Amino acid sequence: MPASSIAVPQAVWHDAAPLMTPGIVVENLTKTYRRGFSGERFHALNTVSLNVRSGEVFGVIGPNGAGKTTLFGCLLGFLRPDAGRITIDGHAPDDLAVRAVTGYLPERLVLDRWMTGFGFLAYHHALARLPAATRRDDCAAALARIGLDPEAGQRAVRSYSRGMLQRLGLAQALLGSPRFVFLDEPASGVDPAGVVLFRRLLGDLKGSGVTVILNSHQLEQVERVCNRVAFVKGGRVEAIETLDAGSAHARGLRIRWAAGGAVTAELLRTAAERGGAGFVEATQADSGGGAGRFTARDDEGAARLLRALIEAGVPVVEATPDEGRLERLFLSDAAASPPPVSVEATRFMPPAVPGSGS
Amino acid sequence: MNRELVIAFWRQRGSAAFRMAFLLLVFGFPLLMTAAMPGGGLGIVRDAVGITMVLAAGMIGQDVSSGVLQLLFARPVRRSEYVLSRWLSVAVAAGAIAVLQIALAWLILNARGAPQESGMVLLTMLQRVVEVIQITAVMAMFSSLVNGVGDLGLWFATTVVGGILQLAAQAKGWGWVGRVGAELNRIVGPDVGLVALMRGTGGWSDLVTTLSIAALALLIAVVLVNRKELSYATTG
Repeated sequence: MPASSIAVPQAVWHDAAPLMTPGIVVENLTKTYRRGFSGERFHALNTVSLNVRSGEVFGVIGPNGAGKTTLFGCLLGFLRPDAGRITIDGHAPDDLAVRAVTGYLPERLVLDRWMTGFGFLAYHHALARLPAATRRDDCAAALARIGLDPEAGQRAVRSYSRGMLQRLGLAQALLGSPRFVFLDEPASGVDPAGVVLFRRLLGDLKGSGVTVILNSHQLEQVERVCNRVAFVKGGRVEAIETLDAGSAHARGLRIRWAAGGAVTAELLRTAAERGGAGFVEATQADSGGGAGRFTARDDEGAARLLRALIEAGVPVVEATPDEGRLERLFLSDAAASPPPVSVEATRFMPPAVPGSGS
Repeated sequence: MNRELVIAFWRQRGSAAFRMAFLLLVFGFPLLMTAAMPGGGLGIVRDAVGITMVLAAGMIGQDVSSGVLQLLFARPVRRSEYVLSRWLSVAVAAGAIAVLQIALAWLILNARGAPQESGMVLLTMLQRVVEVIQITAVMAMFSSLVNGVGDLGLWFATTVVGGILQLAAQAKGWGWVGRVGAELNRIVGPDVGLVALMRGTGGWSDLVTTLSIAALALLIAVVLVNRKELSYATTG
């Protein structure tokens, strides 16, 4: 079935926000493995339910062994769940119609070492059943998109560095303008320039309405690009956090000032309000200086806050971003306490979608 | 069948220096022997097992163990299509090389003054192709069972067990054990009997059995690969 003919089932959704199209629906997904000599079963995934809306960038985070990779394996149809169901645009994940519109970058790209970078892209272009007439141009454009020069594209991939392989992997994942992109630690082993490039490409995907599932330990990256993030732990989705830019969630900022100014809590609060930011608390150091915590809506808000503080006579010497919300989620997990951030309920009971199953 | 998979597999095999060196050996050595002993006729280029083994070993298992299958199966490629493409890749390449070997042996024998009947040469070529079809299918089945080049081990183990059972049956007079041993050996070493069939001294059963084994082995390989969970989740 051609990609464009994927049917969108009509359904009534009982989620917090209305859906334009079903996107990815995971219902009560359970996957167990046998462990050790005793053959004892453990739950890699335990009744996981979530939905990813069409066109959103959805992050999956969690500690090692949480079940993220198993979830990815099930979403991609590599693993068979013991129970539960996954549908992607109403189809089973291993449906060829879904795969025709899916791009995937594994954490560690394994490929035939004899291939050239260009040959590898051409091979996947053909496997994806994209038109042969545009193969050369598409592959050249894909190489350019991920910052690999044509000369590198003609070299065997055995000579590629880890970062180059990761870039090449991203290029193949984006061949043919997929509608669903699964990225497993995409920036792993990539140099800082590559990280910036990956972030920009993710932004482009987000802007073009591609549904992206991102598994990453780079929380700052996840926080920057994802609309929502699922926090997975012990095979369960513990929380789903909404991170949309412009949301009511504020960004923390820690500001330190030197001795010499008459800094009071009232002054700080007034300056923060003038800068459109929030004042949380302040501490005075013995040296006469001090530090305070503030909240700003975004980078621009943080800049306005700093300007307002300086204009109010606060001798600012340092401003550092507070730990991210996702970082706090992780830290709170480490402390074995409930996450202090607001979470969106993970309940999701979509109606049965006809003609689908995993 | 998937043309891209077939071509990629050929290129992969062609780029493996160690494998190509082995292929040269199993291809060239019988030709040298034919040149040295023309009295042996085409009998020296006895079978295509060596050629097929060199090309087939790890045809699926190496993809499983290396991890390239995840990326492949994320594409719109059916698993059955993958298995059949692998089988076709090996069968066509090994069949062509086996036929070329016989053709060269024929030329050598002609040059050495031991000409062979052309009809017999063509029949030998056809028989070799049918043998390759079965051996490749059985290797596809073994390769879908075990990772890496473990299929070679299974092939040797089956050959050895089959031989031992036949010997034991001879020594002890156990008919059914001998039959099992013969069947095992039949699975890994086809007996096409095409020459006998064409001469009217044999029946169709050998050819039918050969093709049945090939079809069954391919079916099993497809089922096994379809059921295979790709070891994506080793790290949880």
